[in-house]
Amino acid sequence: MLNSLWNTFRSTTLGRSIFRVGLPHSNLERAQVAISSFFLHFQPAKVNRRSLKFRTTLGLGLISLYLFLILIATGVLLMFYYVPATDYAYQNMKDLEFVVTAGQVLRNMHRWAAHLMVLFVAMHMCRAFYTAAYKPPREFNWVVGVGLFLLTLGLSFTGYLLPWDQLAYWAITVGTSIAGYAPLVGQKLKFLFLGGHTVGESALIRFYVLHVIVLPLAAVMLIALHLWRVRKDGGLARPGEALPTREDMPHLPVTKTYGLMELARGTTPAVGIKPEDEVFTWPNVVFREILLLMATIAVVLILAIFWNAPLEEIANPVHPPNPAKAPWYFLGLQELVAYSAFWGGVVVPGLLVTALIALPYLDRRPRGVGVWFSGERKVAVTIFSICLGVAVILTVIGTAFRGPNWSFQLPWKPIHVEEAPH
Amino acid sequence: MAAAGRFLVPNVLYEADRRFKALKPEDYPEGPTFMPNLRVFLFRKGNSFRAASAVCTHLGCTVNLSGVGFHCPCHGSVFDTSGAVVSGPAPNSLAWFQITLSRDGHLVIDTVQQVKPDKYLVV
Repeated sequence: MLNSLWNTFRSTTLGRSIFRVGLPHSNLERAQVAISSFFLHFQPAKVNRRSLKFRTTLGLGLISLYLFLILIATGVLLMFYYVPATDYAYQNMKDLEFVVTAGQVLRNMHRWAAHLMVLFVAMHMCRAFYTAAYKPPREFNWVVGVGLFLLTLGLSFTGYLLPWDQLAYWAITVGTSIAGYAPLVGQKLKFLFLGGHTVGESALIRFYVLHVIVLPLAAVMLIALHLWRVRKDGGLARPGEALPTREDMPHLPVTKTYGLMELARGTTPAVGIKPEDEVFTWPNVVFREILLLMATIAVVLILAIFWNAPLEEIANPVHPPNPAKAPWYFLGLQELVAYSAFWGGVVVPGLLVTALIALPYLDRRPRGVGVWFSGERKVAVTIFSICLGVAVILTVIGTAFRGPNWSFQLPWKPIHVEEAPH
Repeated sequence: MAAAGRFLVPNVLYEADRRFKALKPEDYPEGPTFMPNLRVFLFRKGNSFRAASAVCTHLGCTVNLSGVGFHCPCHGSVFDTSGAVVSGPAPNSLAWFQITLSRDGHLVIDTVQQVKPDKYLVV
């Protein structure tokens, strides 16, 4: 039934003008589908068999991309009701909860997809590290990935202010105060972010513009660059892809020749692309991608139906909640900041980002590429795991073990809140 | 480029005035009074007045009065009665602001002018 409808449509002039190639039946057509379709052509016509194995990537990057798409779709819908003004913002949130059809679910989806995106982008980065996917020729794509990770955090942080509730107001007050500790430019930077001395109307509109256009646009462009580089750098990292370099072949002539067969230095992305290792993108890759998209949407939808996004009382610039906490992914940072704002808020994150960007240029030896936790990279794996472990522990302490006045608190003990005299 | 950068720095701020005309001295009770619009504690001791900032020097949360001074709920900084840091991550002591008397007898708190903790306005 569907098939005959499709065939009828394809036999019309209109149908042929839209879909140049019909549903493929031969290998030639399978290649043509991937090449001629705008939405498929960013993938190669054929991919390495290994890339399709779930354990190669765990699907983490693709899930991050899908979460981003969910965030755009739900975010654009939320924009139809949200007004970035201090007098209206919180009221709009209440309207979304109680008045707008499906408003609560859409807001929940946006919130949970945002949390999940931070988680999955971080896990995707860990995957790229543990499989040594940042080694040459993929150094720059790792740097683009670090940029996307920072953009994800920036998007989450700017979105955090928009509901204009207590959580939002004080998380942004604390967060922008950390920026104020940066040497020399700190206070100027804070003033520029907030458009004033305190979090108010101009801060809200600034964060809104960053959240709905500036940062998403930057993210879309970096994602496009990221995906394009995956292809240009030779697809997913796999073991044994590195060609022997000129230094490994001393028997080759070193004199200049004018033959077309002269060997180039370094490796080429084409290595390992033998016909027997390759499968067609259509339907092998496309089918798996659609399956993963469905699964991602289903999980976000289920989360959104059963758990509501938090909304505290309206922002009160006078009294912070006790304890005042940043979103969970910044709580490791807040834990450090509780010891020293300058060291914890500026020096440590600054060094971490610098180290992440410099990593592929420092650790260049092509060892263990495409292999999880390769034994040839014990030192690198150990250092990264320790940093990751410390970050996770700090985040858990900040999230679960910090009570009123930021005092240490066991999460299973009842919290005694002492109401301070005002 | 430079113009675009300068464009983002606002020339006019629609914020609460940082210089605030309060009530008359006799309208305030003995002891501390919290002024929410400025986030300032006004202390009265007989005829003398002084005003302390309630903004934590660490990350800008509002500090609360406690028995021995002030404490911040965000990251646990503790200040003594003169605003000096006792413990916690706060890098500086709390600021004290200049109080003057206007012509019509109102207290004027200027949060741009900082003074020493032992400076009182005697009326």
